Amino acid sequence: MLEIINPETDPYYNLALEEHCLQHFDDQDILILWQNVPTVVIGRNQNTLEEINLAYVKEKDIKVVRRLSGGGAVYHDPGNLNFTFIVNDTSGLNRYDFTRFTHPVIKALDKIGIKAEDNGRNDITIGGKKFSGNAQYRQGKRLLHHGTILFDCNLEEMVRALNVSQEKIISKGVKSVRSRVTNIAEHLHEPMNIKLFKEILTQTVFAGQKHEQYKLDGHEREAVLKLKENKYSTWNFIYGSSPPFNVVKKAQFEWGNIKVHLNIKKGLIEDCAIYGDFFAGKDIAELACHLRGIKYQESSLKACLETIDITSFIPSAKREEILELFIK
Amino acid sequence: MNIPQGLFYSSSHEWIKIEGEKVTLGITDFAQHHLGDIVFVEVPELNSEVNVGDSIAVVESVKAVSEIYSPVSGTIIAVNEELEESPELLNEDPYKNYIAVIEVSNEIETEKLMSAKDYEAYCIEEEKK
Repeated sequence: MLEIINPETDPYYNLALEEHCLQHFDDQDILILWQNVPTVVIGRNQNTLEEINLAYVKEKDIKVVRRLSGGGAVYHDPGNLNFTFIVNDTSGLNRYDFTRFTHPVIKALDKIGIKAEDNGRNDITIGGKKFSGNAQYRQGKRLLHHGTILFDCNLEEMVRALNVSQEKIISKGVKSVRSRVTNIAEHLHEPMNIKLFKEILTQTVFAGQKHEQYKLDGHEREAVLKLKENKYSTWNFIYGSSPPFNVVKKAQFEWGNIKVHLNIKKGLIEDCAIYGDFFAGKDIAELACHLRGIKYQESSLKACLETIDITSFIPSAKREEILELFIK
Repeated sequence: MNIPQGLFYSSSHEWIKIEGEKVTLGITDFAQHHLGDIVFVEVPELNSEVNVGDSIAVVESVKAVSEIYSPVSGTIIAVNEELEESPELLNEDPYKNYIAVIEVSNEIETEKLMSAKDYEAYCIEEEKK
């Protein structure tokens, strides 16, 4: 097994690194241990806007990134240790067995006197509380298994970043399941930092085998950076790859109530309908027409609304009010 | 395990049904059983071109995200859009609930695929491993 040394904490780079290693290290068994700056990591088929608290994430500059594997949204910060195994996807039934990858984590904890167990789904728990979520992605002959390990993660920030506003979204995407979580730090018998735990975990994984280490060379880093630029850090991948969804926005202004139904596909407004009890000017359906094909994102909506004479549709409305309706 | 006669099977657990130039593709009962509950299916784009060995769909189950590969080359002429709404149909009946129909452009390499009988033997071997 080869350990790929990765000191980077940029989530876009790190997710690109996983994909790069999946595709370019034929037949090698690989381990990568890595950490991120505060980040929400969305499951492959999730609706990003449904999983994050957009306002909070923006305010705190929490990164948002989509991963290749499935499942629900998770929160990372430097108090969270991620592990990635990339191996050949063997045939046979043990190919669906998670425990061969979660076992080293359980064993490492056992060494420091903490009893952890697989919960039979995709989590590892301590006293029934989850501290590690796991997911897999299979591509041809290769299998990527990765998991999170909450060591001393800021759980309050986690709850805030993942807490979605009360906006009404209806989508077909994969929903996150809320779990009761715990940090390993809460269960330690003696003080220890995440760096030391990482060493213990590495030793456990490589017990009885040669511990080979590798750092990407300049060309390989270049390739990872390119993948980050072209995929992982793009709006199209992070937001635009969400499954189609419908969203309803409502607001009350001095001039009346207004309600918008939006149908979003590949991150673009495919359909838009506006209703309300306000006194209308031109046919409001025409305003809705202008919004079709626009990216469902603040800057694009703003740019679009700025080209429209709002008062011709709703004489008493202000442009800012309509913008507020769409983005709040 | 359900392995209907008359279909061809791949070692990565896809089935195809050949009707002239038209090939219907799906995942096998073995695949759906071992993947567990399927929660999302990314179906291919209509009219897109595929080559032998290309990934044409992605299935997310509670256990893993897996690519689905095409054993034939051609054009996607139909997709089962119902799967976007109800991915669990693949668990209920993976043969009735196909993923896509491909109009083939090259000769189908059936010698690289398995008959129902061979596939059954293959699955039994897999179960033993």
